[in-house]
Amino acid sequence: MSIAKSGLDPLFALVSHSVEVIETNFYKLPGSAVIARYVRESHRDDPGRTLLEVILIIFAIRTLLQSRTHGESQSKHFIKFDEHEIDELVHEWTPEPLAPALDATEQADLDAVSIISGPTGPKPKLNNGKTVLNLASYNFSGLSGNAEIKERCVEALRKFGLGSCGPPGFYGNQGVQIQAEQDIADFLGTEGAIMYAQAFSTISSVIPAFCKRGDIIVADRGVNFAIQKGLQISRCTVRWYDHNDMDSLEHVLQSVEKEHIKRKSPLTRRFIVTEGIFDQDGAMSDLPKLVELKLKYKYRIILDESLSFGSVGRTGRGLTELYNVPASQVDMLVGSAATGLVACGGFCAGSDVVVRHQRINGTAYVFSASMPPMMAVAASESINILRNTPSLMSTLQENVRAVRAILDKVDCITIPSHPASAIIHIKLGPSSVPAPPMTPMTPMTPASPSRHSKPTSVQPRDAPQFDATEEERLLQEIVEDALAQGVLITRAKRLRGQELIEVRPSIRLAVSAAMSRKDCEKAASVVKASCIKVLNKRR
Amino acid sequence: MALQSPSPHASIFGKKKKSSSPMPTAASYLSAVSEADARARAHGSTPNSTPALSLSSSVTSSSDETVLDEFGVDTNDVLSYPSTPPTSEQVFTTIHSEFGHCANESYRYTSQHRAGTPYKSYPEQDPPYYILLTTYLSYLMVICLGHIRDFFGRRFRAQNYKHLISQNGYAALNSDFDSFYTRRLKTRIDDCFSHPVTGVPGRTIVLLDRYSPDYNVTMVPTGTRTRGLNISSYNYLGFAQAKGPCADAVESSINRYGVSSCGSRLEGGTLDLHQQAEALVARFVGMEDSLISSMGFATNSTIIPALVSKGCLVISDEFNHASIRFGVRLSGANVRMFKHNDMASLESLLREVISQGQPKTHRPWKKILVIVEGLYSMEGTLANLPVIMELKKKYKFYLFVDEAHSIGALGPHGRGVADYFGLNPRSIDILMGTFTKSFGAAGGYITGSKALIDRIRVHGHSGCYAEAMSPPVLTQVIASMASIMGISPASEKASSSVLSLSKGEPSVTEMEKFPGTAPMTVLPSWMPVAPSMADGSDGYVRLRRLAFNTRYLNRGLRKLGFITYGCDDSPVVPLLLFNPGKMAVFSRLMRTRQIPIVVVVVAYPATPLVTSRVRFCLSAAHTKDDVDLVLTACDEIGDLLDLKQGSGDRWPLKEIIDRAVELVNMPELA
Ligand SMILES: Cc1ncc(COP(=O)(O)O)c(C=O)c1O
Repeated sequence: MSIAKSGLDPLFALVSHSVEVIETNFYKLPGSAVIARYVRESHRDDPGRTLLEVILIIFAIRTLLQSRTHGESQSKHFIKFDEHEIDELVHEWTPEPLAPALDATEQADLDAVSIISGPTGPKPKLNNGKTVLNLASYNFSGLSGNAEIKERCVEALRKFGLGSCGPPGFYGNQGVQIQAEQDIADFLGTEGAIMYAQAFSTISSVIPAFCKRGDIIVADRGVNFAIQKGLQISRCTVRWYDHNDMDSLEHVLQSVEKEHIKRKSPLTRRFIVTEGIFDQDGAMSDLPKLVELKLKYKYRIILDESLSFGSVGRTGRGLTELYNVPASQVDMLVGSAATGLVACGGFCAGSDVVVRHQRINGTAYVFSASMPPMMAVAASESINILRNTPSLMSTLQENVRAVRAILDKVDCITIPSHPASAIIHIKLGPSSVPAPPMTPMTPMTPASPSRHSKPTSVQPRDAPQFDATEEERLLQEIVEDALAQGVLITRAKRLRGQELIEVRPSIRLAVSAAMSRKDCEKAASVVKASCIKVLNKRR
Repeated sequence: MALQSPSPHASIFGKKKKSSSPMPTAASYLSAVSEADARARAHGSTPNSTPALSLSSSVTSSSDETVLDEFGVDTNDVLSYPSTPPTSEQVFTTIHSEFGHCANESYRYTSQHRAGTPYKSYPEQDPPYYILLTTYLSYLMVICLGHIRDFFGRRFRAQNYKHLISQNGYAALNSDFDSFYTRRLKTRIDDCFSHPVTGVPGRTIVLLDRYSPDYNVTMVPTGTRTRGLNISSYNYLGFAQAKGPCADAVESSINRYGVSSCGSRLEGGTLDLHQQAEALVARFVGMEDSLISSMGFATNSTIIPALVSKGCLVISDEFNHASIRFGVRLSGANVRMFKHNDMASLESLLREVISQGQPKTHRPWKKILVIVEGLYSMEGTLANLPVIMELKKKYKFYLFVDEAHSIGALGPHGRGVADYFGLNPRSIDILMGTFTKSFGAAGGYITGSKALIDRIRVHGHSGCYAEAMSPPVLTQVIASMASIMGISPASEKASSSVLSLSKGEPSVTEMEKFPGTAPMTVLPSWMPVAPSMADGSDGYVRLRRLAFNTRYLNRGLRKLGFITYGCDDSPVVPLLLFNPGKMAVFSRLMRTRQIPIVVVVVAYPATPLVTSRVRFCLSAAHTKDDVDLVLTACDEIGDLLDLKQGSGDRWPLKEIIDRAVELVNMPELA
């Protein structure tokens, strides 16, 4: 102790000397006496405040000095070159091409995208002049092309023009956007809602608005791409549970709790992030169980209802209506007005605190023009229609059942989707799956005693092996065959290599209430025939 | 500091006091207009039309349609009626409150960089030290006050702090530390932000009045409305209109297509309209191909990850928009920033990163992408493209220019910043832009070579997952773009060689020519086309009106002695206020004027701490009278708030207004 002290003595001397110098110089300044007196008195009255002020001043100076472009030139890896060498290096450097051309499959895929000529709907005309039955477009409630909505929109156009010409903070909010938010909140039964101009950008802004570094998110392994991007931006700690597996969820929640207790870490925000109906396969979350777990372990829940809002529940309110769970139990209920309400944009419904926070922190809300007033009006009108016409949803469910009744019997395919889901994923059945390429299996981790996957890794314990390219090729063949028979369907398009887990390829049907039962059956039969034709040919 | 919120009564300030200025009454105005119309009709001076094009109903000469609006507020002032009624030659087809009537041909200018001169924006002037000092003191004061209030608030008003602290085992959604700035600083002036409006965000805008009973914690609408001069919306070319050729086109599109395209582009959401719009956008911008996305923000955030990835480097201007940062962060590429528009800093950074290679491994970078904005929306500066192009040749980086604000608003043909500098757009790799600004629509686009765009169609996030743009929005894009370009009638290829002299026959080379017209063949056949749209006269007037207003306000403010940032030709004009308190006062004083003016004020974190500012966004819809009005208001308020700190030669207000044309046409401001 004393040695350390004596070692520091010269230092103290230096400090006290410089303080003296500074002091004498300070008193030479005009007006310094006043400041000194003020500081002395305030210190006597309230020492805490002095501390605060000192901190503030230091903080202000630091902010001032902080350069925004911090170079790496100080880092230990920096190599010093002279100008001539740099010139040479610059001269030698050849960048890769900005955009390598698409490969043949990608190009063929792009060329195969159908183009609808004229309005979309249950029976659109394609640009080759053919009229087809549409099982591809998201038009669950069948409100696309609805005459009342059109009329409202024309009225709105004549009142507001088209664009909002500004972000919501700067006069971009023409009243109707607020009205639409209110309508959504009333429809769902939450305190408030906030609308973003694009559904895809909604949840990837909602998540980072609340979840910061150090916060914990427990997410399903099968969450959609938008959520994955939100998680990536938020930089929080993510723990994964098996796709739609509530036991696995509980296990992960327990393990997080254990870790928390063990580390005695401070309480941080904790969220469960999952989807209502999964984009990846049409499976449906068990909302009551989710809510039970969330309350038990004190998590907040961010639920992406992009595909369930406007497609399930008596009047299309989504999972909360279907399971009779109050929407206020879901802290952040994210949905799509583009698919659910056949308008555009997305929303996040929740408590006032949740909504108000996003009005300042939701990046895609703050830094983007608000949605066109006409689209907000369309959303409001859709809600109005949904609310007053429960028959829309019952028709949709009948159509879903009609399609499933036909497709469920086909044994060369499997359908992982929930029976009530209006999106139906068709994957190749076990009998028709091409053999996966013989990849050197991921080195078997010594079988862990637990049957659970590792929560820290997004990869599940035994990920299925499949040959994505070959499966996609087969599915595409089915799509094209169905199109030739007059039914428009689409493969579920995925960004291979960018999704956290490779999703098994599938065909995604979207059933619409606007289609007659007979047409649904006809379309489903065509799909069935195409599946059998293509897959049996292979065998 | 006058930081308290206005009293509830202040919000009905919009109520008109009887003005003493000679303002025409509605009745006298209407009769003058209808007389003028009658005379015009007698002369048979209908606008000349192209026979090949369908005549639409959009040219109306009925006077009431051009002046009345349904809100019934303030129909008695210069915001709704021009100060001088039109003469017999003038037929205005727009609503004055939406798109101002201005027939004086001398109030026009061409937005163009003078060849041979280096680009420079105004030197950024520092204010006197006492201003800086008081600015810091103001922040210090409100920060201290905030902490003191929190200190006591937490003890005596615990229920107000409930949502800021952990309870029942839930951590606070927003801790009191994180939200301090919002709660204790921004809230004080919240009445200047997020003001709800209604109606068209055109030349004027109708504010839905509100007041706060509890110091801006909640806002209560009073039910009254105030019409104000709108100098805030991104409506550069004035296409925010509820009447006119574009709105007519949109209406027929709603009736034809409905409002949604029901899905993502690659999953059954692609309509013929998307293809038509993309062809037109590519031709407008002068690139090979384009891709449209349904949100401007998402254009950046979902497409940049398709361009760069790990092992690539993005060099980004420090003031780049949040959407660019978002996209870059998602891409996984490394990022370095250079000082705003500082080409020396960019070059030295380039030399450093190319010579050093990737961090630690020193492998060479796969690609380097430099991202700049054409026109910076908070600074009013333009990207220094001529120099960047030089650097590009030398350092072989790829260039991405975000033209969100510059497309339509800059250049003699409205083709953005490349057009302004007279550069070939194809020498830039990627031009991105949005439709929310100049085109009065929504969404964004990206243009480049065909190979690049095809790659983005397949590998960008939006193709698979994001909803496609809806048909009415696409139609607004097509209609507004076509009216800037002018339309060339459909041509039979065979006859083109014979009649190649006749103007408007697009031969093959003309299809390639830049800036070209919109060929009839890429436009939807059902779209009504107004004559003013077909001959491009509508767009031409808009471009030149915007350029005049822009230069006039920029130079007028300088001559008054204000410190402004940016370039003379930038329709975004930031006027520096510095003190945070002045922001609120400025905004309120503008709003409570006899002719209210609606302005945007911005401060930290959108700008550096000391440079709080008010930002004007000019529009082609404004008339010279409107700019005069803004200058007058700024002059008065500037004196009151001690804002005139700029150096340089000053003119009195009257002289500026009288010599406006001369001021605008001066090559350099003395
Ligand atoms: C430079 C820049 N890029 C992108 C955007 C986003 O565009 P949008 O409002 O259409 O989402 C903006 C809008 O403010 C912008 O300024």
